[in-house]
Amino acid sequence: MSQFTQQVILGLLLGGVYVAVALGFSLVWGILNIVNLAHGALVMVGSYITWDLFTRLHIDPFLSLPVDATMLFVIGYALQRGVINRLIRAPLLFTFLLTFGINLVIVSLLLLIFTANVRSVTPSYSGSGLLLGSIVIPYIRLGGLVVAMALAGILWLILNRTRTGAAILAVGADRDAAQLVGVDLRHTYALTFAIGAAFAGVAGGIISTFQSITPTAGDPYTLQAFAVVILGGLGRVSATVAGGLAFGLIEVLGQSAPGLGSGYANAIAFVVLVVVLVVRPRGLLGRLA
Amino acid sequence: MRRGRLGPVLAALAVTLAACGSSTGTTTTTGSTIVFGAAVSSTGAQSLEGKLTKQGYDLWLDWINQRGGIVINNVKHPVQIKYEDDQSNANLSATLVQKLITDEKANFILGPYGSAATATDAIIAEKNGIPMVEANGAAQAIFNKGYKYTFGVLSPANKYLTGVLDMAATLSPKPTTIAMLSANDNFSLEVAKAVEDYAPSVGMRIVFSKPYPAAAPDVSSLISQAKQANPDIVMNSGHLAEAIAINKAAKQLGLNAKIFAYSVGPSTPDFISALGADANYVIDGSQWTPQVKYTPSFYLSVADYVKAYKQKYNSTDPPDYHVAESTAACLAFQKAIENAASLDATKVRDALASLDVMTFFGQIKFDSRGINTFKPMVVEQIQSGTHYTVFPANVANGSPKYPAPAWSSR
Repeated sequence: MSQFTQQVILGLLLGGVYVAVALGFSLVWGILNIVNLAHGALVMVGSYITWDLFTRLHIDPFLSLPVDATMLFVIGYALQRGVINRLIRAPLLFTFLLTFGINLVIVSLLLLIFTANVRSVTPSYSGSGLLLGSIVIPYIRLGGLVVAMALAGILWLILNRTRTGAAILAVGADRDAAQLVGVDLRHTYALTFAIGAAFAGVAGGIISTFQSITPTAGDPYTLQAFAVVILGGLGRVSATVAGGLAFGLIEVLGQSAPGLGSGYANAIAFVVLVVVLVVRPRGLLGRLA
Repeated sequence: MRRGRLGPVLAALAVTLAACGSSTGTTTTTGSTIVFGAAVSSTGAQSLEGKLTKQGYDLWLDWINQRGGIVINNVKHPVQIKYEDDQSNANLSATLVQKLITDEKANFILGPYGSAATATDAIIAEKNGIPMVEANGAAQAIFNKGYKYTFGVLSPANKYLTGVLDMAATLSPKPTTIAMLSANDNFSLEVAKAVEDYAPSVGMRIVFSKPYPAAAPDVSSLISQAKQANPDIVMNSGHLAEAIAINKAAKQLGLNAKIFAYSVGPSTPDFISALGADANYVIDGSQWTPQVKYTPSFYLSVADYVKAYKQKYNSTDPPDYHVAESTAACLAFQKAIENAASLDATKVRDALASLDVMTFFGQIKFDSRGINTFKPMVVEQIQSGTHYTVFPANVANGSPKYPAPAWSSR
């Protein structure tokens, strides 16, 4: 029983990482209608900033998260304003190709700057955790979950309690109508993408503390984010949170089920995904069809 | 060109002189360039290992061309290696090898990185009748298909971790239980299977065994399950990224074993820089270490090889075994071409099949399947941030530190 509880906790902790990764992806997809294939690469940029600050200046990985967010906000704003905005009204396939290209460029730049060497951030407290009987909750992973929930809260506040958020939602609902009532479209697009990138950066910072990072290690996270958004649904912050936690739980419980190797974890997770698509195409909590 | 009766004698003399490291041979003529083709990953998931492979090839390339090339019948043939980037994609690797053979006119093929790519490249080598010597594909599956043109200089996968068990059996108190984690690719599964088959013969048993998908996003669930089995030895058969993640998760979840042994990863400098002090006590089976004591019959000694590597790549770290085994593949080709005294693909293939030389990398000799079962694996351990070769005792420069202390008391 305690083993089951332990697995559930690990599932939620992993789910927290998926939430952090998927929040920005979901925002960009929902508002801008862009499936951002460079999202995983942006995550890795965040990982490398955290790693660099940790190795060079010995800055705690959690303290460097605001730096990740700020730098990726700037990169994200520039990318959208300078590059992606030009294709924003083009069919989905074009933005698909464009973000695929951006992904390649970012990965190559990371390879040039940081080389292909495998890195990881290992702070001194990485082994300590909360002990509840035989159950262990590593602090560093708990920190990741807390940050992910805080990100979700921040995004919800931005979208529902600020004028900027109202503008973003308005653009998502109807860009022409939004422009008619005075929303600066290009700025709002860029701002949305910048927030998405900033969240990706924070997710990257968290990932660097428990995973090994390489310039190409971000690609699976694009896929995971995609799956989380399908599972949870588009258009609501709570949908991404539910999707992320559910996906983490399914993966972990799938691989710890008796008689099943971890090799089945992905298979189980994606079978669930297909079932959700068939039974409830808008996702668990999605608003848009 | 002199082609008299003295030819073979002079060729033998030249080879002998070259082997003695003499820079002034009797051969002066320059022959046609020998082209080697290699599809090595410089992008993608295996770009790091691909880079190491290329470094190994290039180290030999510099050395042989400084000597004017490979000597065949008194004629020095300069060497060129043409590279293609297989983007860590095994299927693309095969396409590129075909391109290297048809478009780039490669005489011979040097292997790619990894068992998957080697397996697909072997088919192309066989189809074209072009010999391939590979250094980075240890899965025996490659060699059980009856190919005649593929040779591997490295010890096969089934020996990767069994040496660690041999070493563990000498320790006191003797560890008896093993948790075996394995990535679900051919090579890793083969390493894990060999451990499971071998363990009972040294009085140990497997108490937990599970494969995971390669590049798994999170291994904590796996580690938490392994912890329930309370193993003396935690073994991982996978790759560098997973070895780092597993070591981290073991610490985070308090999995305390007496031995942590990982097939691939700990031998690279990255492993230590990513984990810091947590890398200590970790053990791995290695194809080669910079400390081994072999007496080569040609090319560089182990110490000179390490020196040449540090100089060429401006590195403070010694080369890891990926580099050394890749150089060894070139040495096998060099000797085989010299022995065949020809660039004919079939003759060189036959010379490879009967090759038996001692190099800085160890003995190179192929069994009937084409894999080097004659070279032993060595065991190394990270102690205070430095690699020590700890087994077998006759090539070791340190003794194993055992047991690894609990994470909380480090």
